[in-house]
Amino acid sequence: MSDLRDTAYATAILHEVADLLAKLAADGSCGAIDLRAMPLGPADRARLEEVLAQGAVKVSVDAGGPSEIFETVYPGVWWTRHRNDAGETVSEFIEVTDCPQFLKSQPDDIRAGASGLRRLLE
Amino acid sequence: MKGESMRNDEREITLGEYLAARGVSRRAFLKFACSLASLMALPPSAGIAMAEALAKAKRPSVLWFPFQECTGCTESITRSHEPTIESMIFDMISLDYHETLMAAAGHQSEAAREQAMKDHYGKYLLLIDGSVATGLDGAYSCIGGQTNLSWLTEAAKGAAAIIAIGSCASYGGIPKANPNPTGARAVSDIVKDKPIVNIPGCPPIPAVLTGVLAHFLTFGSLPELDPLGRPKAFYGETIHDRCYRRPFYDQGRFAKTFDDEGARNGWCLYELGCKGPVTYNACATIKWNAGTSFPIQSGHGCLGCSEPDFWDKGSFYRPLSVAHWGNKATLGGAAAVGVALGAAAALAARRRQDKIVKGD
Repeated sequence: MSDLRDTAYATAILHEVADLLAKLAADGSCGAIDLRAMPLGPADRARLEEVLAQGAVKVSVDAGGPSEIFETVYPGVWWTRHRNDAGETVSEFIEVTDCPQFLKSQPDDIRAGASGLRRLLE
Repeated sequence: MKGESMRNDEREITLGEYLAARGVSRRAFLKFACSLASLMALPPSAGIAMAEALAKAKRPSVLWFPFQECTGCTESITRSHEPTIESMIFDMISLDYHETLMAAAGHQSEAAREQAMKDHYGKYLLLIDGSVATGLDGAYSCIGGQTNLSWLTEAAKGAAAIIAIGSCASYGGIPKANPNPTGARAVSDIVKDKPIVNIPGCPPIPAVLTGVLAHFLTFGSLPELDPLGRPKAFYGETIHDRCYRRPFYDQGRFAKTFDDEGARNGWCLYELGCKGPVTYNACATIKWNAGTSFPIQSGHGCLGCSEPDFWDKGSFYRPLSVAHWGNKATLGGAAAVGVALGAAAALAARRRQDKIVKGD
């Protein structure tokens, strides 16, 4: 009983994730929850990490500091944590999508890379 | 002069070009924008649109004046040792005057200030921390032989907007506390014809300034403000509304001393004088020290430092129900959202405090 009271916010978030995942499955629409906007206590966070445990995919990205992204045991539910160079968390999201936007190559970076590679070969 | 010319050239390019020239990839910038959107209470999807808009924005000239202050606000915003979302503020703007940070001193620094005001008249952002001394025509606080009051009135004329940083600039703060010997006033008491954003707090949360500047650059306007001139994205809800201990308030579970069972179990600090129910700020979500904690999470009630005249409202350790804070409507609202147990506990707190006051 005490645990349930301590994890009220985690329970609400998990229900929201379930609703978003149902939408993704139904019509492909994506959604996200900003964890830093939520008043999570230590017990809430532990509950979220317990339920949304790491699944098959885990990615590390080095862009403006390290970012860790993993798909949870529920396919389509991704946990994204962005850090700065000092290792401090600057933002954290639960994304419900087939692939987080941040993982995709950005058009400006692609153009810069294409011209850079061309210059190298000339 | 060469350095001045280079700085002006840098200001003319877009923020995206400026960052790209420094090796910041668009993916890294997207990460920055998504984090900014998070700070500004925008939906996560807004980060992509913000990245696009910010990349095209020009870096504005910013003048930062320190008046009657302790430098705590500057410390709060600049203390980061590594690149953080807060420190990226210095990539987003061209900081043309800041006494504490600039290398120039004496007449050279004053010349830089005057030149920046002339070059960017009508376009620069004016940032103020500290209250404005008005007693003896402002003589209580002077820089370079001129009063803060005269600096403010002169610089405000050419400013596109003014951002009052900290509770002193926003409300007068501690310098204005009784008996206010210097005649300290808020920026908004002096300047009446310019848009002013108040970012109160003692000190304010550094990311709030970044968020306000990002909004200005992204949308070309100031963010939506509450009746006290504070951005609603950060000051739209009370600490109490967003506190992780709020469920304990609703259950009527309160710490009654700083070392009892309730304190050890992390219960609500209302009866120990927490001002969270009447204090509007984002401490409970953004938190401090890179999101590590905030006062309530560390076991101490909120002091209400982002509210006007917080220093003169009685003991920090009196429950709100017996202190001078808020009004009946505000406190009634706070109680209304709790359940009966919470209200009963508030009543018990009032009775207990009455006993303390009477010496029973």
